[in-house]
Amino acid sequence: MITRRTLGKFGLALAAGTVLFAGPALAQDKPAPFDKPGDVKIALVRYLSTGDFFQAYLAGVEAQAKALGVQLQVFDSRQDAALQADMVDQAIALGVKGIIIQHGLTESMKEAAQRAVDAGIKVVAFDVNVENDKIPQVEQSDRDLARLALEQAIKDNGESWKAGYVYVAGIAPLDRRDETWREFKKKYPGIDEVAMFGTLDNPIANSVANQARSVVSAHPDIQVMFAPYDEFAKGVKIAVDEAGLSSSIKIYSADISTADIAAMREPGSAWAATAATNPAVVGQVSVRALAQLLAGEDPGHNVIVPPTLITQKDLNDNDIKNMEELSAKMPQFAHADVAMPAWMPNPNK
Amino acid sequence: MANILIRYGFLALLVALVVFFSVATSGFASPQAAVFIFQSVAITGILALGVTATLVVGGFDLSIGSVATSAMMAAAYAMIVLQQNAFVAVIFCLAIGALVGLVNGLIIVYMRVPDLLATLGMMFLLLGLQRIPTEGRSIAAGMTMPDGSTAQGTFSPAFMAIGRHRFDFFLPDLVPVSVVVLLILAVLIWFFLEYTRFGRMMYAVGSNPRAAELAGAPVKAYKIWAYIISGVFASIGGILLAARLGRGDIASGNNLLLDAVAAALIGYAVLGASKPNAFGTAIGALFVGVLLQGLTMMNVPYYTQDFVKGAVLVIALIFTFSLSGRTAR
Repeated sequence: MITRRTLGKFGLALAAGTVLFAGPALAQDKPAPFDKPGDVKIALVRYLSTGDFFQAYLAGVEAQAKALGVQLQVFDSRQDAALQADMVDQAIALGVKGIIIQHGLTESMKEAAQRAVDAGIKVVAFDVNVENDKIPQVEQSDRDLARLALEQAIKDNGESWKAGYVYVAGIAPLDRRDETWREFKKKYPGIDEVAMFGTLDNPIANSVANQARSVVSAHPDIQVMFAPYDEFAKGVKIAVDEAGLSSSIKIYSADISTADIAAMREPGSAWAATAATNPAVVGQVSVRALAQLLAGEDPGHNVIVPPTLITQKDLNDNDIKNMEELSAKMPQFAHADVAMPAWMPNPNK
Repeated sequence: MANILIRYGFLALLVALVVFFSVATSGFASPQAAVFIFQSVAITGILALGVTATLVVGGFDLSIGSVATSAMMAAAYAMIVLQQNAFVAVIFCLAIGALVGLVNGLIIVYMRVPDLLATLGMMFLLLGLQRIPTEGRSIAAGMTMPDGSTAQGTFSPAFMAIGRHRFDFFLPDLVPVSVVVLLILAVLIWFFLEYTRFGRMMYAVGSNPRAAELAGAPVKAYKIWAYIISGVFASIGGILLAARLGRGDIASGNNLLLDAVAAALIGYAVLGASKPNAFGTAIGALFVGVLLQGLTMMNVPYYTQDFVKGAVLVIALIFTFSLSGRTAR
């Protein structure tokens, strides 16, 4: 069923579920309007765009759009909320059939999204709540991210340890991860949070390293650092290394990048595990959810992309050096079976 | 009495803070903690010493933060993408710093663009420029290039040593390279500004450019040199940043700029100098470092720390402009 070319190209054993989908997908014709995909124009309207996560997200959107054969127009408002709303109107005027709203502020995007829906355009939103029943919300599950990382911390360290926690309030994904952390502390009373710190001063890793260094000198008995954002984890790792405590502290985090992989794989690295959603997959899922809407199907109101747990051992055992190898060698990271009807082309093939 | 307060008030405050934190937290009063405070302010301190040079000639350099992050990207790019060694990477960064400083100076002196505006423009220019080679990606070993290939280079061990090596000083493995660099640069720029003819002339240019010009000083050259010093210092900060982080990070460097400027301005108040001076800048940076280290150890959240940092700056400026101004008249 899988061609030799696919195997040669990716060198991975596909998950059983994907194999089941791969069969009929070849046979089945695509529903309208994707029988003539060249006529379908979609727009991606972005609020945030600089940084590795957003680059990878865009790559995912482009890959899925290409796999479908549709035209993609990218609007980038560069954190200008008013401009982002204008860009939705611009996209409407251009006559696109579907719009993906990527991040933004509820206040500025709610009405713009409604205008698009009123104009008969299908809309999906990623990581911004536009408060509209007609618009599916694509999300990476921050609670699951935190849960996976913390479950691994419990597995590695038992149910009672002294913890340092890195957190900055008021950032939506971090707040959601924080909820899970609170639940875990309630569920496992043995977890003793002796220090909480965090900052978003950039370069973030450098500023957090300075803070973490103070924290570990004040509390050298900390066993676990929960740093649910990879820039935080990187900073903590630098501090732990500088303080010579790499063997007594374990770091658990969320998110991943090529630089993170290198840091996790350093000999004796304190960075034990991270839970991550592949931003490229989130991009693909955004386009697929939109495509389902355009084909008259219902992807559901909350389209959640599940995260993957990646441990230091996984990386070492598979000799993974960058994000591409991670996708190739951990197939659950490369593809999510979300918004994946039988006719949908899989861009990873 | 007032004179003594103005001269030694800030130093006394610094000592009081150290005593307070030593009592209030465990682990503050140790050689490691002391060294760490220096380490945490090394990068902003070096930037602050650079900006002090431009303040001395009556200018200002807003581009230092982005020069530092550009140098960081350049170091990573040179090693990871171009596969150069540590020496080439360092020279590359220093050259970028000097070039940016030279351009800043030329724009300000010959095109007569006000210093704040010229360096603001340069700041934006560099923010964009540092992202162009990699299309906005951070640079790390094994990264995927825009054309789909994988970068082959790595951070050379010699370069990483700049961020990780520690010199023995009474205790083994105590003093990191960045602290040594900070101390050397601080002594150098202090000696240069206070005791060399060149440095004294820079002060003259800063206090009255017209008088300095009539006295036959090449005012324009002094100003341009000040920006070159500032650019080179900022690029040294960037090199240390790259060596500590082990990658080229997309970052604006605005926080570096603000912290550095704060340190330099706090420096006005040290010893009642009421003018930019290298010793004051170093003390100012140290002051901020002691505060942040102590507050973090007491679990104070980051926004309170920003508040405290701001309060210290305001008080220092009041010291400088109000109290010492009155006694001088």
